[in-house]
Amino acid sequence: MNISVRIGKAKFQNPVTVASGTFGHSEKYYHLREVKKLGALTPKTVTLKAREGNPPPRIAETPSGMLNAIGIENPGADEFIKTKLPALKKIGVPLIVSILGRTDEEFKMLAEKFNSVSGVSVLELNLSCPNLGKKVLVAQDPEATSRVVGAVKKVSKYPVVAKLSPNVTDIVPIAKAAEAAGADGLSLVNTFAGMLIDIKTREAVLGNVTGGVSGPAIRPMAVHMVYKTAKEVKIPIIAMGGIMTAEDALQYIIAGATMVAVGTANFINPRAPADVLDGIKAYMRKNKIGDIREIIGSLQTL
Amino acid sequence: MGKLQDIYKVISNEKLCEKFTRLRIDAKPIVEKSRPGQFIHIRINDGLEPFFRRPFSIYRAKKSLEILYEVVGSGTGALAAKKKGDTLDVLGPLGTPFGMPPKGIKQIVMVAGGVGVAPFLFLSDTLKKKDYELILLYGGRTKGHIFNIDEFKKNGCGVFQATDDGSVGVKGRVSKLFPKIDPCPETTFIYTCGPRPMMASVQDFARKHKLRARGSCEEVMACALGACLGCSIKTTQGFKTVCGDGPVFDLHELIFEKIT
Ligand SMILES: Cc1cc2nc3c(=O)[nH]c(=O)nc-3n(C[C@H](O)[C@H](O)[C@H](O)COP(=O)(O)OP(=O)(O)OC[C@H]3O[C@@H](n4cnc5c(N)ncnc54)[C@H](O)[C@@H]3O)c2cc1C
Ligand SMILES: Cc1cc2nc3c(=O)[nH]c(=O)nc-3n(C[C@H](O)[C@H](O)[C@H](O)COP(=O)(O)O)c2cc1C
Ligand code: FES
Repeated sequence: MNISVRIGKAKFQNPVTVASGTFGHSEKYYHLREVKKLGALTPKTVTLKAREGNPPPRIAETPSGMLNAIGIENPGADEFIKTKLPALKKIGVPLIVSILGRTDEEFKMLAEKFNSVSGVSVLELNLSCPNLGKKVLVAQDPEATSRVVGAVKKVSKYPVVAKLSPNVTDIVPIAKAAEAAGADGLSLVNTFAGMLIDIKTREAVLGNVTGGVSGPAIRPMAVHMVYKTAKEVKIPIIAMGGIMTAEDALQYIIAGATMVAVGTANFINPRAPADVLDGIKAYMRKNKIGDIREIIGSLQTL
Repeated sequence: MGKLQDIYKVISNEKLCEKFTRLRIDAKPIVEKSRPGQFIHIRINDGLEPFFRRPFSIYRAKKSLEILYEVVGSGTGALAAKKKGDTLDVLGPLGTPFGMPPKGIKQIVMVAGGVGVAPFLFLSDTLKKKDYELILLYGGRTKGHIFNIDEFKKNGCGVFQATDDGSVGVKGRVSKLFPKIDPCPETTFIYTCGPRPMMASVQDFARKHKLRARGSCEEVMACALGACLGCSIKTTQGFKTVCGDGPVFDLHELIFEKIT
């Protein structure tokens, strides 16, 4: 059975990864043996300088999902490379490193920093974080998307994936802009902007007032975005949004995704990524599918 | 390292008083590793409701693993419906434990409010073997909100209680019981867990008398494994995760100004 997939020149043993920001120090996270089976690992987004993150409370439960405004708390690229990367590399699974710059220049500097280390397979550009207080996200503007992707592509020695936001009227023009600027793949989607209000105090529940919704609650919308985008672009898609089981992941693959990422589900079931992988293989065996490419984008239409 | 997540059987789930229920689960691997102040993270139902796991302090870890909980919402409500033989998906033990008191300590004071008493029975189980004077200062709203404290007495704890309406012990806040504390910086050590205003009053007292102290905190948790950075609280040392850096912190590092 062939379940290996590619993004640009990067090759992955299987299509299952974890979504950025939902997977901690893996040794603690769960059995190394289970982590080692995954196609790739995607650590939390790193920025040029350390960020301390948003004021608490940072998370809340929502119907079939959660709301978060972590604020990209991270130690900064240099510290990440020094203290976190070595342990992640040791796991032996390809790494998709997620980066976020406040300017095109910062994105470029980040890409250059990762050029000079080993053990990275793909750079994922977080163009879609709604938690940094800016009015417009890069991923809400096709021109900005094209500019940032182009700038990083020019310097990076790794394949580049643009992670897009669902908070747009139509995701397709943005996806096309990223593709035209040279992106090797797309990650769809980041969280949906949302908020919760405590009616007793009439205050927002989150310290940051607004946040992003993730988990099964967003899955049907995210599947739709992957479906719409996959029809219009040629580059591979890493799909995410509420994947708890292999059945959820297969919906995305049938809709056109090449890889799938397990996010919020890690918090509920730390074995979810391994379960998803096993379930995809079981589905292929049961349906006598020899190559994952036979199901990617295989949605039947009348 | 051993398995952090597994499925365990419920042994019993019984109401101890109007407010508190005790759940016992057959979880030897957790019992063997647990230390006082640590917690477990329970997936209450297999489906999506409640969505998050729920964290609970380890109340006792002897033959079985015990938690003491209060029904406050849908998650704890669903937990209360569990019966002997039902299974639960549990992560644990998690978090930084209370730790042993520093050298030279003679009097150990546990200050608890409401269900914040939960981690202290386990703490007294381990400290009773040592030569400390153990004191529990315990505050609750009213009679049924304070459960049978015989187990603490069996561990040799001096137990002093306060209720808002005076139905048990002295009338008023737990701070009314602070005169029971010997305010000696060299020999007295405080552990506390409970509502934020109560912990703030303990911090005030400890500061005034230069007492060393540790406090166990709460914050809403998703992963409880240090992955999501969702349970961070602001401390004098910057943001810290309650699930990993805590739940037990040096009481003097905690910032209580904003009561949420
Ligand atoms: C480290 C730690 C140890 C705890 N130990 C105990 C214990 O020993 N006994 C006990 O009765 N309770 C304990 N709690 C609190 C307990 O986790 C909450 O009461 C429970 O999660 C509420 O769930 P619910 O669905 O019944 O209530 P909800 O309706 O969800 O909420 C009721 C209240 O609980 C809080 N809460 C909801 N979800 C969480 C969550 N995931 N984490 C923390 N708080 C939450 C909410 O902010 C709200 O104030 C502990 C919490 C923490 C963080
Ligand atoms: C707590 C939390 C933190 C996240 N942090 C990041 C991040 O640092 N970078 C990023 O690109 N996406 C981040 N995300 C978004 C996820 O990677 C993912 O795109 C989104 O949650 C949808 O997938 P899910 O429903 O499976 O979680 C975060 C999501 C959550 C819930
Ligand atoms: S609950 Fe996720 S980091 Fe603490």
